[in-house]
Amino acid sequence: MTRQLAPHPAAKPKRPPGRSAKVPKRRWTARTRRDFFVFLAMALPNLVLIAVFTYRPLFSNMYYSTLDWTLGSPTATVVGFANYVTFFSSNDAPKVLGTTAVFTLVTVGGSMVLGLLVALALNAKIRGTTFARSAVFAPYVLSGVGVGLVWLFIFDPGYGVLAWLLRGIGQQSPQWINDPQLSLVMVILVYVWKNLGYCAVVYLAGLQSLPQDVMEAASLDGANGFRRFTSISLPLLSPTTFFLLITTMLSSLQAFDLIRIMTPLGTGTSTLIYEAYLQAFGAYNRAGYSAAISVVLFAILLVITVLQLRFVERKVHYS
Amino acid sequence: MTLHLDRRHFLGLAGVSASAAALAACGGPSTTGGGQATSQAAEIDFKDVKPAAKIDFWSSHPGQSQDVEKSLIEKFHAKNPDITVNLVTAGANYEEIAQKFQTAQAAKSGLPGVVVLSDVWWFRYYTNGSIIPVDGLIKQLDMRMDDFQQSLVNDYKYDNKQWALPYGRSTPLFYYNKDHFAAAGLPDRAPKTWDEFSQWAPKLKASSGAQYAYIYPALAGYAGWTLQNMLWGWGGGWSKEWDITCNSTESVAALQWAQDSIYKDKWAGVSSKEAADDFSAGLTSTTISSTGSLLGILKSAKFNVGVGFLPGGPKAQSNVCPTGGAGLGIPSGITKEEQLAAGKFLDFVTQPASTAEFSAATGYMPTRKSADMAAVLAKTPQIKTAMDQLSVTKVQDNARVFLPGADQEMAKAAAKILTQQGDVKSTMTDLKNTLQSIYDRDVKPKLKS
Repeated sequence: MTRQLAPHPAAKPKRPPGRSAKVPKRRWTARTRRDFFVFLAMALPNLVLIAVFTYRPLFSNMYYSTLDWTLGSPTATVVGFANYVTFFSSNDAPKVLGTTAVFTLVTVGGSMVLGLLVALALNAKIRGTTFARSAVFAPYVLSGVGVGLVWLFIFDPGYGVLAWLLRGIGQQSPQWINDPQLSLVMVILVYVWKNLGYCAVVYLAGLQSLPQDVMEAASLDGANGFRRFTSISLPLLSPTTFFLLITTMLSSLQAFDLIRIMTPLGTGTSTLIYEAYLQAFGAYNRAGYSAAISVVLFAILLVITVLQLRFVERKVHYS
Repeated sequence: MTLHLDRRHFLGLAGVSASAAALAACGGPSTTGGGQATSQAAEIDFKDVKPAAKIDFWSSHPGQSQDVEKSLIEKFHAKNPDITVNLVTAGANYEEIAQKFQTAQAAKSGLPGVVVLSDVWWFRYYTNGSIIPVDGLIKQLDMRMDDFQQSLVNDYKYDNKQWALPYGRSTPLFYYNKDHFAAAGLPDRAPKTWDEFSQWAPKLKASSGAQYAYIYPALAGYAGWTLQNMLWGWGGGWSKEWDITCNSTESVAALQWAQDSIYKDKWAGVSSKEAADDFSAGLTSTTISSTGSLLGILKSAKFNVGVGFLPGGPKAQSNVCPTGGAGLGIPSGITKEEQLAAGKFLDFVTQPASTAEFSAATGYMPTRKSADMAAVLAKTPQIKTAMDQLSVTKVQDNARVFLPGADQEMAKAAAKILTQQGDVKSTMTDLKNTLQSIYDRDVKPKLKS
């Protein structure tokens, strides 16, 4: 326990005579006025755009979630929280939340683990790593629609490349597209393939900025490669891991293009965001119900982000 | 990270939230009426209305019809120089065009003059009040309604009003590989019944080298439409009027037979994307696909293609073919002038010469009785089969065409039965419950008693 020491009288700040202890108000000088207008000129356009294109739809959506509204209909009925009650009391909720959890956990885990392994391989000082780095990152910048269409051909159980390879070893192709469980596996595989390049490049940047002197010291102390990785590299990479955890989780929860292209009915692949789309635009036209699902997704994203910022960040080592 | 939320900040945030909520409430639907949307059922009088100078035509180009649509528009411009029709690709299929149309409805802007609407969408537009009855335009433009194929034009009749006119109308056709049939020693015709086909299928599969003797159309692509044939053949259906009957003994027997053809008898498969492509690629000896796929199949298949009526079942051998495809409607949210210009275009594209040209380019059926199809049939005699089948077609069950999302639910149930070998009876009972709840929640309150 530490003792609280009384401040030395000499340490007391000297106050000019006649002035109170209150902090004086900053004067609105010509300079501060000019700075304020510069600030407004710089920030206001962005603030207006954010208000119009982010916050207005957000609040509109919250309002629509309290309506029984068929998309396209000019009228609607206010139903309060009935859409939320319907969602959570129906069979949809466990199915959709379960699919969302599986999709998010597997794609985030898969992209990060594989991305780290690829980054370790790319970090090796061997020939061809520049080409390999570009090749690994390329899928990430490709259009999700294009990627989805190409992979659909690969997975096609009739005349896809995969079916052809399987036939070569006397096996029938699984019904990747029609079977709801396999559809989810298919979409997850393609999503991880598309996004692991992003994780790999970010991890690679992290690996290349690790202090070499620490590594060398560990080597001199007899630590082998695995020990150096688990005891030094991995902890020092924790800011990178934390950054990737947030960004990949948010993008996985919002994944849409691949699901839309590869499984248009969302059979087996209906995550929260896709269910919201299907309910409003897919065929059901239940705009109010869809808005309620979107609000649930928003709440989940908010909670995850706050939890990550509050708890996960504490375990991060900043060198 | 710590959050410092003092009283001043809190009040500021609350103020922003309240303003945003108020702003949010400004858009969207009206809640003042509290009731449901009612269609603009009153007949619109177009007397003394001058047609607008420009309208958009939203199409998904059914049957790869973009070129023929452009050609029809050019001909319309030549005949009506005061009206410009702008062709807009508003989606790749009926669902995408429906999304765009309904979004424009919700946004209350950017609506087209004429929109392509499929068999499962027009009724929703009617219940939402998104389209007008075209009776006023029929009267004003003196359209010859008696010349339309009655079964096709009647599909869009409700509440004694005409809500759209037929455009790219189709039925499913039975497609078969003539070469495979000849190699198997089978007659050069489509089977009369599914029972007859089940006797042919093992021979076909053994002799053709194709993966399947028959492939069920892709479930994501209108399974509810193509399976209607089997359900009717076995004496069942998705519904009888508004009574959902998809779990009746007959309906279950039909789908059990379908499941057995895949898992027990092993001569059938399920298409993953497009059965017409699988058939053209030689993956299967037979399939069922839309008449709108006919020209595409004839163009890409490297074998002799045969077409025939859909097979019957043990209970019904005729009238087991549903009609389908798209019509054209006019939005209610545009001006009377635009509606009149749209009406003139509607009149033009449904003229006998136009429908014959459209049919020749796509394989869809001519919608007018007096359409001169001689040249078309000389070039593509298979279209005659589709035209002849029209006399034995049946209007689809209400559950498929009038319940929002029913097609998707039917496809999911079909996927469970045909790709996961799910129990047919329980799957169809679950489907019945889902369809019933859609009817009770989304349709029943909007029906006129």
